[in-house]
Amino acid sequence: MTVALGIDLGTTNSVAALATPTGVEFILGSRNERVHPSVVAFPESGGVVVGGDAKRYRLTEPQHVIHSAKRFIGQNIRAPLVQLAMTGVQYKVVEGPNQQPIVVVRDRRLTMPEISSHVLVHLKRNAERQLGTPVTEAVITVPANFTDGQRQATKEAGRLAGLDVMRLINEPTAAALAYGFGHERDQTIAVFDFGGGTFDVSILRLAGDVYEVIASDGDFFLGGDDLDRALTDLLASECTRVLRCDPRPHAALMMKLMMGAEAIKCHLSDNDAAEGEIDGLDLPTGQVAQLPFQITRRQFEDLIAGYVQRTADVTRQVMAAAQLQAGQIDEVLCVGGSTRIPLVRRRLAEVFKREPNITINPDEVVAQGAAIQAGSLTRNLSAGTGMGVTHAVATTQHSVLGGKPPRATTQPQFDQPLRRPILIDVNPATLAIQTAGGFTEKVLDKNSPIPIERSRVFTTARDKQTRVEIDCCRGESRKYSENEPLGTLVLDKLPEKMRGDLKIEVSFRIDADGILQVRASDQESGARQEAYLNVLGAPERAT
Amino acid sequence: MSGGSRMEVLLWAKRICARRAAEAHTMLEISADATLEVAQQAFHTIARNAHPDLHRTTCSPDELELVTSAFALVAAAYQQFRATRLATTKMASLRDLRPDATPIPRPDGAVVVPAPVAITTASQMSARAAIHYRKAELALRRGDIQAGMLHVKMAIAADPQSKFLRSALAQIESELPKKP
Repeated sequence: MTVALGIDLGTTNSVAALATPTGVEFILGSRNERVHPSVVAFPESGGVVVGGDAKRYRLTEPQHVIHSAKRFIGQNIRAPLVQLAMTGVQYKVVEGPNQQPIVVVRDRRLTMPEISSHVLVHLKRNAERQLGTPVTEAVITVPANFTDGQRQATKEAGRLAGLDVMRLINEPTAAALAYGFGHERDQTIAVFDFGGGTFDVSILRLAGDVYEVIASDGDFFLGGDDLDRALTDLLASECTRVLRCDPRPHAALMMKLMMGAEAIKCHLSDNDAAEGEIDGLDLPTGQVAQLPFQITRRQFEDLIAGYVQRTADVTRQVMAAAQLQAGQIDEVLCVGGSTRIPLVRRRLAEVFKREPNITINPDEVVAQGAAIQAGSLTRNLSAGTGMGVTHAVATTQHSVLGGKPPRATTQPQFDQPLRRPILIDVNPATLAIQTAGGFTEKVLDKNSPIPIERSRVFTTARDKQTRVEIDCCRGESRKYSENEPLGTLVLDKLPEKMRGDLKIEVSFRIDADGILQVRASDQESGARQEAYLNVLGAPERAT
Repeated sequence: MSGGSRMEVLLWAKRICARRAAEAHTMLEISADATLEVAQQAFHTIARNAHPDLHRTTCSPDELELVTSAFALVAAAYQQFRATRLATTKMASLRDLRPDATPIPRPDGAVVVPAPVAITTASQMSARAAIHYRKAELALRRGDIQAGMLHVKMAIAADPQSKFLRSALAQIESELPKKP
């Protein structure tokens, strides 16, 4: 009996769930919490601590506590945004092979997939304890506009955790699946996913059992973390002003302020003002001080207005890409903790000219969708199959995230005659190759349905050229240099021909996980030679 | 249970892979003049029967690869069909936006020639060329003949076969000497 989990591997929090004949069951932590912090600590005392327990080490050993690893996973460390993210964390990140980021903690060097695999192992162990069966398979969710490298690295994390990652699905799509499953809806919906570290918006066409993404866009460097950071900066300057001590060079002090900022942010979602003091600040002078603060919701909204505006702008872009007007959207789903912020909901209501649906639980819906997809792939969805865990169906206990009471969760119905859901996702960015003059030639368009395969035939630019380098990139600009480079394919020892005579077929294929395979082959030489692309920042590929 | 029978799907996949270079509507097995809705429904029907996810437990790895390839090719065809259709609607709206006959005066007083010829049919150039041509029109309305010419040249690069674009370029070039 295989058990396949659905896992929402988030920037700040992760949730795992399992589809059972009676509903979706959440994997609970040691305190019966459904939401597990994506935090991995390597304490002085040795060993690895994950989840809520790891958070405790943030104050005592901030440089040994790895959080927000999702911001680095599968990224090229030289990317400007990654460099920016490095300034926001207290642990050390250095460049490793293939330009991938490596965490240095104590005397160990760990790749980002290794860090994430600790979170996955934690979820897997909790699941095995709860279900009493081994867990070997999983569906993991990723932000819709994750790049190929980020997807590969996430899959690698699953493999390191001893999980067969059957499928990576996009977070907004998973949320739509949880919303639509068992209801046979015929609707056009928008999913607005604003989480801890990433932001996505997808527009889907729900036609019964088919979930077709029409357009999707987002920013994998925009989330609650950025809002916390804006607030932390404010607190840091307050600290400099009031306590005459600049906390920025001191990791433990900054961590304390960051935790304060997060708590203030959550408080301001339900209240008009936050007032109090952050105590226990160990100043470098040796004294222990308190920092009083008084922040109104209005002040906070001014602070984050730029970020929220960006989400609204991206949402409008996606609507334009889908060629839809606000009136043609039947429902707007809010996913991710940051959608609890009243300003975000107000902006969203402005864009769609309707109130978003807030009956679904923004923290859990993604894992729920992933669990349904996992059940569908293992054919464990059909009614009455039974998975031996009916006695352990999700309790009503709810994680106390921000001290909130439990919210209503839509529970999919499993007892109806079942049609397996079909997810058709899209490619989040245009993929192209460099041509003469530094321009690009598109091979796959943004928002193409996946899995997809397309080939284009190119030729040589010089006479008797025996070597071609095919530079692949991701992005919307016509100029190669303005796009994100993916890597270079090399075809060598080509037959000597006049320019334009040699035919080189470049084929791009994106599988259902959103992972890219690029193959180039020269069609002329008897021995067709082929080359495969290894994407920068991604873990080395075996092929 | 959704998903076509294994044999049916394998036959379909073989048929599709054999046609890999065919036109989009042939791959989707719809008529060339089908609407977007028809194409979407056809694609959904194919997905309901042949999406590789539905067959991962019943097919061998080789068979699954065949089904995946076929589905990937059909997805590309669907995307192409959709893009062409949307470009055609864009062209229609582009026609509505075409510059009116009255020349727009430039700040320095020189009179600007309106874009040479209005686009009449979508078949005169490819979708990408049309985008460049549209930019050229706008540049000419602004009075920037150099940029207008550049965009027409880019349109020609995108669609070298278009006689229409070449005549447009010739027309703009003939206007050039009049410029101060």
